[in-house]
Amino acid sequence: MEVTFKDVSLSYDGSREILHRLNFTIPEGTLVSILGPSGCGKSTTLMMISGLLAPTSGHIFFGDEDVTKQDALQRKVGMVFQNYALYPHLKVLDNIMFPLKMAKVPKAERREKAIKLAKLVHVDDQLDKKPGSLSGGQQQRVAIARALAKEPSLLLLDEPLSNLDARLRIEMRQEIRRIQQETGVTTIFVTHDQDEALHISDHIMVLNSGKIQQFSSAETLYDNPSNLFIAQFIGEPVINTIDIEDFDDELTDHVDAEILKRAKKVGIRPEALQDHDTGADTLATITTKVKTFEKFGREKNALLDFHGKRLLTTEIEAELAEGQELPLYLQKSGFYLFDQEGTRIFGGDQDVE
Amino acid sequence: MKRKTAIILRYVILVLGAIIMLMPFLWMLSTSLKTQPETVKIPPIWIPKHLMFSNYVNALKEAPFLRYFINSVFVTTVTTAGQLLTSILAAFAFSRLNFYGKNILFVIFLGTMMVPGEMLIIPNFVTLSQLHLVNTYGALIIPWLASFFTVFTLRQTFQSVPDQIYYAAKIDGASDWHYLWHVLVPISKSTITAVTVLQVIGSWNAFMWPLIVTNTENLRTLPVGLQAFTSDAGTNYALLMAASTFVIIPMVILYVFLQKYIIAGISKTGLKG
Repeated sequence: MEVTFKDVSLSYDGSREILHRLNFTIPEGTLVSILGPSGCGKSTTLMMISGLLAPTSGHIFFGDEDVTKQDALQRKVGMVFQNYALYPHLKVLDNIMFPLKMAKVPKAERREKAIKLAKLVHVDDQLDKKPGSLSGGQQQRVAIARALAKEPSLLLLDEPLSNLDARLRIEMRQEIRRIQQETGVTTIFVTHDQDEALHISDHIMVLNSGKIQQFSSAETLYDNPSNLFIAQFIGEPVINTIDIEDFDDELTDHVDAEILKRAKKVGIRPEALQDHDTGADTLATITTKVKTFEKFGREKNALLDFHGKRLLTTEIEAELAEGQELPLYLQKSGFYLFDQEGTRIFGGDQDVE
Repeated sequence: MKRKTAIILRYVILVLGAIIMLMPFLWMLSTSLKTQPETVKIPPIWIPKHLMFSNYVNALKEAPFLRYFINSVFVTTVTTAGQLLTSILAAFAFSRLNFYGKNILFVIFLGTMMVPGEMLIIPNFVTLSQLHLVNTYGALIIPWLASFFTVFTLRQTFQSVPDQIYYAAKIDGASDWHYLWHVLVPISKSTITAVTVLQVIGSWNAFMWPLIVTNTENLRTLPVGLQAFTSDAGTNYALLMAASTFVIIPMVILYVFLQKYIIAGISKTGLKG
């Protein structure tokens, strides 16, 4: 089911808005992540999609149908919660059958369907156990099966992996991707972990303080961040951010003077600082001083001093000594300028040919 | 060595406590097997010369205990069931629903728990007499169909159930009514068992209220019926204790079977369930 938000806002007390005029469309059959720091309103957005929470203003559409006034049941969504929210008194099989029982599906059919779903999520050998005796990963699988039981229009996942340990988290995110692709159900996945979002989704919606910062593919988020927040939020290690005033005249001949005048912040990805000339890809050169140099395995990291500011690079080829001078070649991809409001005005696809 | 001493000390204290708690019951059993003169002998004796099992037969002949027993079972069952129903509904409202004045209402009800039961006897009696309910089963049952203690205990348990389970149930298509009876109540089984047992015991042992609002033999419950052994000429302790033994047996059985739930339900607050 395609989901569309039209000017949706939410405020609990009438004065302070939690979400500001959200406008977006989630295409049918895709897996979309809603990503953001805690308190950005991502779970709240999910609650509004589910129908558990009504927007203060604006409209929500499922396909062409306006569902703003419908509750969770009418919207036919399936949802998986962070703490799984399984019914502790019911066996695994009964947990999966619960939504079908509510929908008054005949008993034999219920059972058959639940067993099929249990097989899909690989818990068919646990059917007679109570949720309390299952591991976190197994509980999460049961919760997914239960959410899929009534053939939902949408599958909503609210931070489903954050209660799992690191290894299980990677396994489960692949499982969620597999289940989504096997069933083809439109899936919305809320997370604060960019790694999770980058690996699992077709598209990522980044929210911050109740506003959509950018809604695009993982690649676009990284290569063409629409603003400083996205540039800093996506990417590991974090992008280097310094003020435009920290440059003397290194950029003067390489960037349009008018843009330079509007620019406030400079963002440089750690891999955009090369220690050798790359020819056409090089935008400008700067001179830095090596503060620390670290080498482990294939990685060589250097922390550099540039006019008193710190820059990190991961692209060192030579062996460096601490304190030595080092000329660096700024790469066109991975170099961005942001204006006063934080909007990207230089770098990325639109401005670099 | 130090640990061993601590363990021994702990058991000594526990055994002493247990003996003190059991003393009245042992005295009851002992007295129920004595002859009339032995019951008032000073210094008291613990083991009678002849075990007077005939006391039990005589006690049952003294009054229509079968009738009292049926009354007790009936009143206890209806009171407990009714109270449980009203309390579960009220506890759900206080824990999950939002309505105008919810918190104020809750505080007022909480305040009623501070009022000693004895103070309510006269107003309750006057109310019942104006409703022409004195000396009926209604008088024994109606005032006890609501208990805020039960509401409060259940509300605490209901509130400890995560919101997500409620949301999950909503998304799965359960109404509030369905959620309450098919999810919340089964989850809260141990607390519900505990309050049920406490209510059954309280109802079974009630003495003051049935004594005041009934005056015909047909309506007497067991504890009131034990009055039969007290007359102007004094009390027949041996028969009274024999009958008392009968009265407490059902409660002892109930407790033995359900003590796990009772302890879990009561100690839940503040401890890991």
